[in-house]
Amino acid sequence: MTIKIDLTREYEALVEAYQREGLDTSLFGDRIAAIIISGDRIIGLNNVPGVKIRGEEIENGVRADVKIADNIELPFPIHLCTGYLKSEGYQRVIFEINVGKNSKVRFTSHCIFPYAKDFTHEAITRIKIGEGSSVLYDDEHVHGEGVRMVSKTEVDVGRNARYTGRFSLTKHRAKELKLEMVARLDERAVLELESKVKAVKDDSVEMKEVAYLEGAHSRANLRSTAIAFDRARVNVINEAYGFGDYAKGHVECHEIVKGDADVQTVPLLRVKNDKAELTHEASIGRINEAQLIQLMAKGLTEEEAAEFIIKGLLGE
Amino acid sequence: MNLFSTKGFGQDCPENFKLPSYEVFSMKMLCLRDIEYSRDGRRILRPINMRFREGMSYSILGPNGAGKSTIARIVMGELKPTSGQILLDGEDITGLSVTERAKLGISMAWQEPARYEGITVQEYLTLGGKLRTNKDELQEVLELVGMPYELYAHRFVDKSLSGGERKRVELASLLLLKPRYAILDEPDSGLDITAGKLIELILNRFRKCGTTVILITHHEGIALKTEFAYFVCSGRIIRRGFSREVVDYYRKTCRRCSFAEG
Repeated sequence: MTIKIDLTREYEALVEAYQREGLDTSLFGDRIAAIIISGDRIIGLNNVPGVKIRGEEIENGVRADVKIADNIELPFPIHLCTGYLKSEGYQRVIFEINVGKNSKVRFTSHCIFPYAKDFTHEAITRIKIGEGSSVLYDDEHVHGEGVRMVSKTEVDVGRNARYTGRFSLTKHRAKELKLEMVARLDERAVLELESKVKAVKDDSVEMKEVAYLEGAHSRANLRSTAIAFDRARVNVINEAYGFGDYAKGHVECHEIVKGDADVQTVPLLRVKNDKAELTHEASIGRINEAQLIQLMAKGLTEEEAAEFIIKGLLGE
Repeated sequence: MNLFSTKGFGQDCPENFKLPSYEVFSMKMLCLRDIEYSRDGRRILRPINMRFREGMSYSILGPNGAGKSTIARIVMGELKPTSGQILLDGEDITGLSVTERAKLGISMAWQEPARYEGITVQEYLTLGGKLRTNKDELQEVLELVGMPYELYAHRFVDKSLSGGERKRVELASLLLLKPRYAILDEPDSGLDITAGKLIELILNRFRKCGTTVILITHHEGIALKTEFAYFVCSGRIIRRGFSREVVDYYRKTCRRCSFAEG
């Protein structure tokens, strides 16, 4: 990996943060296509055959273009690391990702803001997936106590292509999180979106997942899980639009509330084609009584049972 | 002393039947004394008395709506009786919570086991690592319930498991826990034609561990696999005794009597 000499200390500090959080430091290796951002600078960049990453430093942040050629299948994920190691400030990152035809790639995106006390992170990600390709995008966050995050992801899933997006912010404070994911699906395209968030204290979370099932036989599954404790506020919006012939969509939202948390879920299903089919499933409230009692009958206390159930829900 | 040779067993059971006090306080057993349960003004259980001696296997047999599962849930502590007492080794445990009863060795497999997202079979069986066991034992109990370890240990205990598979996981869970008292509420429901054989294997295994089984069922064939049985209908105990005798009586009388009308 090419590392800018004057920024090696920042690079090392980021690697250290990875180690502390138990994240995979092998992602910094030479075999991995990667862009490493710290604040408004690109401190590391690596390309591998079939993947071309170009970065540009902009005001308060970085813009990066990632191009994947046709017929590429990578044994390792592409690593997108966005770090901010100061406690205050503002950062803006823009990712333009283009995946060619019949390729299979995985992205591991890490946002590392471990010391943030008064920090705003804005991210815009546009992903275009060519015909027959498959993309898995894992987005994991390490936040300090005071992060305001606004993230918008737009995905164009081409014919016979597949996109799986997973967002998780469960081990650190969400503080102020506004997350929006919008996908448009072509013929026989498949979309899976999964978001998991834990909100505590006075955190405020808004999650929105939207799928436009435009292509015939396109399919989408949107799943959101939110755990809200204390005085946290969580608003989850799931929208699915069935436009294509035989398009199928399923929207699922599970929210668990404890304390004085305020949680709402707003599903919107709209069909403009009598051959399309959309379904919705939601649960909101305290932990299911039967789940608790049945674990307590095995000797767990109510608190231990609740913790076990929540860990499972959040995939911890 | 043969618990089932004492007064009140092997014959029609009067509702005011009570255990002799010397038995209640001197033996290792679980007893229900004058347990009543009403909900929304409706009487679900009339005063009932039952006793379960350590190391034995029992069925509570009866038609749908007889109050069998209510009895199970009262013993486990999920429901509080309107009146009466639950005694364990002579100690009143009526006021104890589900967790406290579980810690005393009472556990239960529900008729409809709950499903848990993101929890694997292995994590579920070991209660997230809280139950000390080893891979060999896990493998053994899973295979006993017909679930090869390699195929199931890492599956999620969520809706991706069929009803029968979920039920088998629950039975494996109780086998691993080795409680003093295992309440199995309709353990054969949702299982395929191998259910009868599976229940036999489970009863044998519990017998070896010294676990007392309380099996709730409406199937005579399943009740016959236990040593003793209670025939319950409309919240009353109709008959108690050796399972063979109780099942014979159940076959002859059930759906021909006036109890079902309440």
